[in-house]
Amino acid sequence: MPRNPDHRDLFAGALELMILHTLRLKPMHGYALAKHIKHASDQLLQIEEGSLYPALQRLMRAELLESESGVSAKGRPTRIYRLTDAGLRHLEQETSSFEKMFTGITRVLATSRPQEA
Amino acid sequence: MAFWKLFSRRRRYEDVSVSIQEHLAERAEELMEEGVPRAEAERRARREFGNVTLVEQRSREAWQWPTIESILADVRFAVRQLVKVPGFTVTAVLTLALGIAVNATMFSMVSAFLMPHIPGRDPQRVVVVSAVSPYDNFLPDTYRVSAPNYESIRADRRVFADTAAMWNEIPGSLGGKDEQPEAIQYEAVTPNYFGIFGVSPELGRGLQPGEDQPGRDHVVVISHALWARRYSSNPAIVGKSIRLNREDYTVVGVMGADFRLMLMTPQLWTPLTLTPADQTPDARRTRKLMVLARLAPGVTVQQADAEAKRLAAQAAADYPQIDGRWGASVRILKDYLVHDFHIAQAMAVMMTAVGLVLLIACANVSGLLLTRAAGRQKELAIRASLGASRWRIVRQLFLEGLTIALLGGAAGLGLTWGGVRLMRSLLTFTYAIATIPIRLDEKVLLFAMGATLLAALFSSVAPAVKASRTDLNADLRSEGRAATAGRNRNRMRAVQVGSEIAMALFLLCGTGLLTRGVYSLDHQRLGFREDHLLTAGLLLDGAKYPDGPAQARFVHDLLSRLHLIPGLEDVAVTSNMPATGAGKVPVHIDGIADPPPSEPRRTETVVVTPEFFAASGIAALRGRTFTDHDDVNAPRVAVVNQRFMQRYLGEGDAVGRRVKLEVAGTPQWDQIVGVVADVKSYSEETRVDPLVYEPFAQRPANQFSVMLRGQADPDSMIAPLRQTVAALDAELPLMDVMSMERVIDQQRNGDPVFVEILGTFAGLALLLSAIGIYGLIAYSVRQRTQEFGIRVALGANARDIAGMVLREGILVAAIGSAIGLVLALPLGRGFDAMFPGIHFSSPGIYPAVLLVMIVVAVGATLAPARRAMKVDPTAALRIE
Repeated sequence: MPRNPDHRDLFAGALELMILHTLRLKPMHGYALAKHIKHASDQLLQIEEGSLYPALQRLMRAELLESESGVSAKGRPTRIYRLTDAGLRHLEQETSSFEKMFTGITRVLATSRPQEA
Repeated sequence: MAFWKLFSRRRRYEDVSVSIQEHLAERAEELMEEGVPRAEAERRARREFGNVTLVEQRSREAWQWPTIESILADVRFAVRQLVKVPGFTVTAVLTLALGIAVNATMFSMVSAFLMPHIPGRDPQRVVVVSAVSPYDNFLPDTYRVSAPNYESIRADRRVFADTAAMWNEIPGSLGGKDEQPEAIQYEAVTPNYFGIFGVSPELGRGLQPGEDQPGRDHVVVISHALWARRYSSNPAIVGKSIRLNREDYTVVGVMGADFRLMLMTPQLWTPLTLTPADQTPDARRTRKLMVLARLAPGVTVQQADAEAKRLAAQAAADYPQIDGRWGASVRILKDYLVHDFHIAQAMAVMMTAVGLVLLIACANVSGLLLTRAAGRQKELAIRASLGASRWRIVRQLFLEGLTIALLGGAAGLGLTWGGVRLMRSLLTFTYAIATIPIRLDEKVLLFAMGATLLAALFSSVAPAVKASRTDLNADLRSEGRAATAGRNRNRMRAVQVGSEIAMALFLLCGTGLLTRGVYSLDHQRLGFREDHLLTAGLLLDGAKYPDGPAQARFVHDLLSRLHLIPGLEDVAVTSNMPATGAGKVPVHIDGIADPPPSEPRRTETVVVTPEFFAASGIAALRGRTFTDHDDVNAPRVAVVNQRFMQRYLGEGDAVGRRVKLEVAGTPQWDQIVGVVADVKSYSEETRVDPLVYEPFAQRPANQFSVMLRGQADPDSMIAPLRQTVAALDAELPLMDVMSMERVIDQQRNGDPVFVEILGTFAGLALLLSAIGIYGLIAYSVRQRTQEFGIRVALGANARDIAGMVLREGILVAAIGSAIGLVLALPLGRGFDAMFPGIHFSSPGIYPAVLLVMIVVAVGATLAPARRAMKVDPTAALRIE
């Protein structure tokens, strides 16, 4: 499968964070989840299904998510993933530390531009 | 909770599949809504998603404990695969079972003989101090120590915290009066002996300080074996009185069953009494004490050894005439026992042999697995294309090998159980060997497990790696069209089979040399007549036979009564039976100067009654042998053997010369009256040493053997012999009543058994490598069926085809044999060095073994070659 060179690899934990954030809005099934992330990022982030499903299972194992039988938008049987209380707490914690980190990175990158110095 | 998780896993796995299936369906539907046709939409959905199996597997792995589950799945798969090909599985399992079983059985002997259990606490601190003989004796560094030297070691408290002395292998008579006397071997030990080990008796008490004083020394501690055998394990024996050497002793204790020390495992222990006479300079000549010590805290064995050598040097300086060239050596008790048993070399030979058998077995199984992997090429390619990683495939194949090895190990343990029992029944030829416990214990189990894992590794890694290096495209596309398929794979198998042949040839040469060496010993002419001879040992105790005249009187009475046995031809008494290794002493010859003390002139010394030469069939070459007139009042006479005459006297003037032996008591001059034929000094060696015979009447001994020659079976004389001795002395036990042939057989000390076992291993190796050659050629013929078909179609005849196949087999065999032969060439000299006294170099063995190997190789190639000859070109070319 040829890769779009504009798509960068996500850093560790980023995919999990996006999954948790997306599921906070409402519980959804796998395909919807993948589509949502793609659209919300204006196609900048394309999730490989190859990593989405293992990540979902890891989050379930950590009891941050739970799943239940349900039907998709098209009426086919599937599994609906939902955030647990622990998942919510984890998301808030991670988001704040993620924001701090992101702010930090932005500042460092800002200082490195000589013409603005 | 954990259990629930395990059970709920199946549901989780379904979750993943359902989600993915829905994902694919939804994407396809979306594409169809955009106007893409259904088939194309489904294809694109799948392509965008990637490898479904791999994603499913990764998703599941989130729930798994690091891959244990997937390994279990692989094992289940491996078992299913193996069940499908029972012929292959049974062959491979049995091959490995045999290899593992011979190794584990041999290891049970190694464990028993080379890793003896030493009773008590901290056995690594218990050492043996032994004297080192300056002469070229057997195991010169295991000599006993004299009482004065023991005293100086004992006084050295800084190095030896506690020192005990033991006089072992004392022959004695147990019972008597109202019960049949029994000849036993016992030990006299200083009262602190058991304390050195930190062991207390199982029943009663040990020996106490002061019980080594005359008057208080009639106490015994009996062994567990004697207690069980003679006293029916009755605990009331403690405190009872038993009869030992015509005297009453009180049993004070019974040792536990695990108190055994290989060769130093007696029936009972009495106190060792050392008197002031044992401290005189003359007592230095008597080296009979085993000295055991517990090292002082912090002292190493090396330091103790240096200290013992210092003490020996001191004694040598003080008493140069006696201790002059003697040294000392300190060993940990365990090492001493193993060294003294002198079986390490034989064990090393055996372990090498079984190790090679296992390697050959592994090579065969490896070959089988390679063949199978070749047949499964497409299956593996398909699995790889479905997303199985290379590691996963290697693991899968390794697990198949491991499963086979584990099954082989389990079956091998069953065989080992039988093997250990067989060994136990074979190894009973001497008392010492019979007391060594050979068991299938945890050490052997552990070893078998190790051997199993090694077998798994050796037999499956090569095929697994080889098979995993698959080229997907080539393997999936190929339909077996290539005319000479699998050349590369065959090369690996050819190398395997070649090394199998090399190992088998090496093993066969080694066994051949050993068998030849032992056979020539077994069949060497000893120089006397062994048949129709009954022998028995007698020990005249000091209580009833205190001096020479009393001993001579007894022997005179005994011989005249034994002559009344019907059918008896000759009967004699001798201090040493022929070919059983007599003691050596320095000898002086009248008129010939003594050699320098560094190379003393020594001779074997034996005292015999007149009929000895007739009874043993030793011919007089010059002069005469002894008569009844050569008694205590007649002039002292001697008879020498031919070797003595040749080495020390020169031809011609032996009779009439005078010799003086340095024996205990007052040495006296004897006149040589005759020269007799040589007898081998020891039945298991080829040498003949100088020997001087003296008349028993002129130098009586308290310990001797009786030899009876009759026309009938020697065993038929046992009852009359026992009755005669009992009539003379009811309390005198007969020792080792057996035919002369049996005496010689015991001296072989299991060498024939050893060679038979080794021969079995070599046969096994030959068989396995024959199977290996057969497998290789049969497989290659099957693979080349199309090639042969084409050749026949192009005009080759059946003879050409068979020639090609035979050439292939013989080429591999020839290269393997050449390597094996080169490796085996130094074996003869190696064995000579390992087992002194026997000559193994016999060049005839090598061509003989080579011939056997070639015959076997041709035989194993013949069947596949015949199959190749019958290839029908039309049928062969149709196969796809």
